[in-house]
Amino acid sequence: MTQSDPSSGREMRANPLDRVTERLIRHVAGHSSRRSLLGRLGAWATFGALVPVLPVERVSAATPTKAAPSPKAPSPFAAKAQTTDPTACNYWRYCAIDGFLCASCGGGIHSCPPGTRPSPTSWIGTCFNPGDGQSYLVAYRDCCGQDACSQPACLGTDGDQPSYRPQANNDIIWCFGTGALVYNCSTSVIVGNAS
Amino acid sequence: MLKLPTKLAAMTAFLLATVASGACGSAYADDPVLQTEESDIIKLSPVTDHRILVQDAVGHHAKDGRVYVVDADRGKLLGMVQAAYNGNVVQDPKGRAFYVGETVWSRGNRGDRADLLASYDPQTLEIVNDQVLPGRALVTPKKNDLTISSDGSRLYIYDMVPTNAVHVIDTASHKLSLNVDLPGCALTYPWGNAGFTSICADGSLANVSLNAGKAEVTHTKPFFDPEKDAVFEHSPTRRTDGKTWFISYSGLVYPTALSAQTKIDTAWSIQEAAGMKAAPAADSPFTVTWRPGGWQLSALHYATGHLFVTMHQGTFWTHKTAGTEVWELDVETHKLIRRIKLPKPSSMVGVTQDAKPLMFTSDEAGDLFIWDATTGTMLRKMPHLGDDLYFTVALGE
Repeated sequence: MTQSDPSSGREMRANPLDRVTERLIRHVAGHSSRRSLLGRLGAWATFGALVPVLPVERVSAATPTKAAPSPKAPSPFAAKAQTTDPTACNYWRYCAIDGFLCASCGGGIHSCPPGTRPSPTSWIGTCFNPGDGQSYLVAYRDCCGQDACSQPACLGTDGDQPSYRPQANNDIIWCFGTGALVYNCSTSVIVGNAS
Repeated sequence: MLKLPTKLAAMTAFLLATVASGACGSAYADDPVLQTEESDIIKLSPVTDHRILVQDAVGHHAKDGRVYVVDADRGKLLGMVQAAYNGNVVQDPKGRAFYVGETVWSRGNRGDRADLLASYDPQTLEIVNDQVLPGRALVTPKKNDLTISSDGSRLYIYDMVPTNAVHVIDTASHKLSLNVDLPGCALTYPWGNAGFTSICADGSLANVSLNAGKAEVTHTKPFFDPEKDAVFEHSPTRRTDGKTWFISYSGLVYPTALSAQTKIDTAWSIQEAAGMKAAPAADSPFTVTWRPGGWQLSALHYATGHLFVTMHQGTFWTHKTAGTEVWELDVETHKLIRRIKLPKPSSMVGVTQDAKPLMFTSDEAGDLFIWDATTGTMLRKMPHLGDDLYFTVALGE
């Protein structure tokens, strides 16, 4: 895993399922109604077990020029999304991203630049991958601790809802639990399959 | 090299010649000799209808946010104050003060966090009180995260750590008077002096009545589906009576009378008001039509009930796309009054509250455009007033 390989993952730390569960509990405890709690728990119960076996590396390494298999792209963003350039705003995982791409700031698709820390909390989007025709739950985790990276910003709004729906809002500074809540850039981490 | 006496004589002669020639020069004959000066500070007049505050989040270095004070009649910057890190600003309805919510850390990007509420004298731009808050939500600035009661006696500050809550601040004593926990709800829409309403995650509203130091909360039934057609946070409230027009992503307007018993009327369509078909919501995400979008995408002129909305052509889920036009609508008749084409797409619209209102738009370059709101004609432009002009605040709004 080198700095020049933005698609490579971070060093493995805790079990992903543990981290996911921790984030879930922190998040819903503070910000969700009972109704959304049940819905989110159901989603996690369904998809959480898939996290360790998700084909993250294979997807990023796959030949991206294949025509999109069925089903059809579910949104205008997905219909124009590409799978090859994570420094461009139309990269498929950025369907609901808002801010500076960590892939352009010294980090990667799911890696924080040196000198920053990933937030244990995030908002969740659902993005369609035209490379395999699947939709994935994507956690937009902010990298925090330095001020704005200030490379060209991207704004994806698929499924973006206002801040009274914090689990789907990309305006909030998602740096809770990182010390100073100073936002540097945004990553997009696959946390489940939504197809 | 000249010897010293010779050098002095030459300098004296040169100075005499200079003075003599100056005295004889007709161009300067009547000019007084400049006097010595002392540094001073400009003091502004009391706030006028067309003196506005402009919030600049400065997203590319967000710790340096600021609020500009602008004379919109002259297109002139009068001063500015800091509004650090997703700062927010609200003005006393009578212009007696304005309040900036901001967040700093003791060592810049690290150290102890302080959430602050600075009260400013609007004529000197000096801080008259610098209050430490229990917290404030860190979110890209939205007007309804910091609001004020109609008489200016209370401020409502939305917070989301550790739980969703609103801090009620007494502006006379500069003290926290109440914390209102609002699980699952966010933002504040004031109604008169009696309380405020928040929007909840299930599409309902929570009404908070404030009386004798206590808060009573009532809830409406859900009236919109947040996943299919959410209402914008940036929907306008007429604070004096709590009338609010919640605008949905697709362009439905829900006339709502906020109170402890909030009443929500039947929604009408912005597109139908303009003689078009109502726009579909998330069920038809590919349909391209005119839609509301941007950041502070709406403004209301209270006296006339004219609603200004930034509009663009796009599919669903383009609700943050800057408007290429501003549509002016009558909230009573549900009719389009005017479509105003913008020279540059704007993510915001603002309006003053006087009888000869001005309208404001911005662009990506941080220009501020100043319009005659009664005719829809542009009056002047302030080039690159700032970086990210998110909203304006006018007297009485």
